[in-house]
Amino acid sequence: MIASDQKRNGKLRRHDAHAMDKSLRINKRGRGYTNSFLFIGNQGVRAFIIPLLSVISGLLIWQWLTQTHADVVLDFSNIPSPLHVYKSFLNVVVTKTYWKDIYWSLYRIALAFTIGSVVGVFIGVALGYSSILRLIIAPYIEIMRPIPAIAWVPMAILMWPTTGQSIIFITFLGAVFPIVLNTWDGVKRVPVELVKAARSLGANRISVLFHVVIPYAIPNITVGMALGMGAAWFALLAGEMISGRYGIGYFTWESYQLIQYGNIIVGMLTIGILSSITSGAIYFVKRKIVPWAE
Amino acid sequence: MKGIGHIEIQQVCLGYKSGLDIRTVIQDLSLTLDAGSFTSLIGASGCGKSTLLNAIGGHYKPLSGSIILDGVEIKTPGADLGIVFQQHTLFPWKTVKENVRFGPMRRGVGRAAADKLADEYIELVGLSGYENYYPKMLSGGMQHRAEIARALANKPAVLLMDEPFGALDAQMRASLQDSLLSIWESTHVTIVFVTHDVNEAIRLSQRVVIISRRSGSISSIIETNKNHDEPVEQYMQSRQTQELKRRCLEMLSA
Repeated sequence: MIASDQKRNGKLRRHDAHAMDKSLRINKRGRGYTNSFLFIGNQGVRAFIIPLLSVISGLLIWQWLTQTHADVVLDFSNIPSPLHVYKSFLNVVVTKTYWKDIYWSLYRIALAFTIGSVVGVFIGVALGYSSILRLIIAPYIEIMRPIPAIAWVPMAILMWPTTGQSIIFITFLGAVFPIVLNTWDGVKRVPVELVKAARSLGANRISVLFHVVIPYAIPNITVGMALGMGAAWFALLAGEMISGRYGIGYFTWESYQLIQYGNIIVGMLTIGILSSITSGAIYFVKRKIVPWAE
Repeated sequence: MKGIGHIEIQQVCLGYKSGLDIRTVIQDLSLTLDAGSFTSLIGASGCGKSTLLNAIGGHYKPLSGSIILDGVEIKTPGADLGIVFQQHTLFPWKTVKENVRFGPMRRGVGRAAADKLADEYIELVGLSGYENYYPKMLSGGMQHRAEIARALANKPAVLLMDEPFGALDAQMRASLQDSLLSIWESTHVTIVFVTHDVNEAIRLSQRVVIISRRSGSISSIIETNKNHDEPVEQYMQSRQTQELKRRCLEMLSA
């Protein structure tokens, strides 16, 4: 039954299989994540039209629900319509504050994530490579790790001279733990034979670290960085909403307080785009620096 | 002293400590390996032949006794003691050439000289043209060739091989065995070869050392009387060789 079916639709199915294969490959290489945002893929017209129609119908339903002030589970009377959001966007995109907020958020992410990556990789390697450092550092990691970065907000404000610094600190905390844990895990997984081979080729402990242990852990480290980037955005937005003066999280929260409901959604979508771009950048860099792992 | 790569194994005990418990694998083993010789270690799995090889390579410290290379006790692994493992141990993030030049560069040989050495040994093992391939792009046999080249590029006194061709098909195996013999003849490196295959041991080596699992020591040493001028196939088919093989198998099952 199935076989004859396949035969009859052979052409179409082959095409499907081809498209699926392509999308699978894209996903495997981590590009699915960035692409899922815009639904762009070269998978033929069909694969482009259907998602497009889906999104358009979604927008139409949203428009209809808000216009009729529907009250089914959710109260749509307070929710801005897609057209309203679009108009808000056009108004906001020409203002300097919108771009300034984006600049501040990106600046904080870049700074906190860079520090978090350096510190995270350093601690992760230390944990995995030196048993004495592991005994010293591991208890702190185990105590701090379960505390979500947001729980640090009050303490961070007290600890740091400016709120700007406290937000960067909270963002750093969000980024650092996934990076530490994944780096540690990667270093632990280094096969003993690779280390033995390097030692038998005359490598000392430092050489083994830089030529075997760290290269081996790089795929794990990049996974940690991708997770850390997500966690960093999470922490950044919490920080900005609670104590910020600039930043896209502050923009979104302020829009709520100023009853500019269209801007809330503009803020949310902006956050989504920024976070997609930064995560995509990590996967892009990963493919550039570890071609051998592909 | 004639040449480098002379190994004295003196009353060595090897084993694993777990807590207070000591499990001895090799018991009071003594053996002399002449510079430039080719010796096979065979024995049932678990007899400790691989542990002994790792100890010669400096990766295990003997519980007692000592292993001496050219008058100096072996305490740590080093460039003198090249090892080819059963598992693939090429660095996956380095190309064939980068793998092969790794040893020379650790010794402080400059990039250009290391590259030249690498090219030389890549050619010796028959991998010319694959210098810039990553290990996973190579077949299993080619990876073994690259590993041999990497170990030899250090110009080690001793080449230790731990069942290096165990996972290969018969044809690939024979071709690598032939390559190994010609490499040995051209480099005069002392080779210690661990295998569980009697045919392989007899085909390759001058001496076959049989290790007994029961006693954890040498149960017999058989000289193969190999003649270099004789073709390998003829040597393997000869009555003497068949007799050697029978004796080896007898000793192994004893």
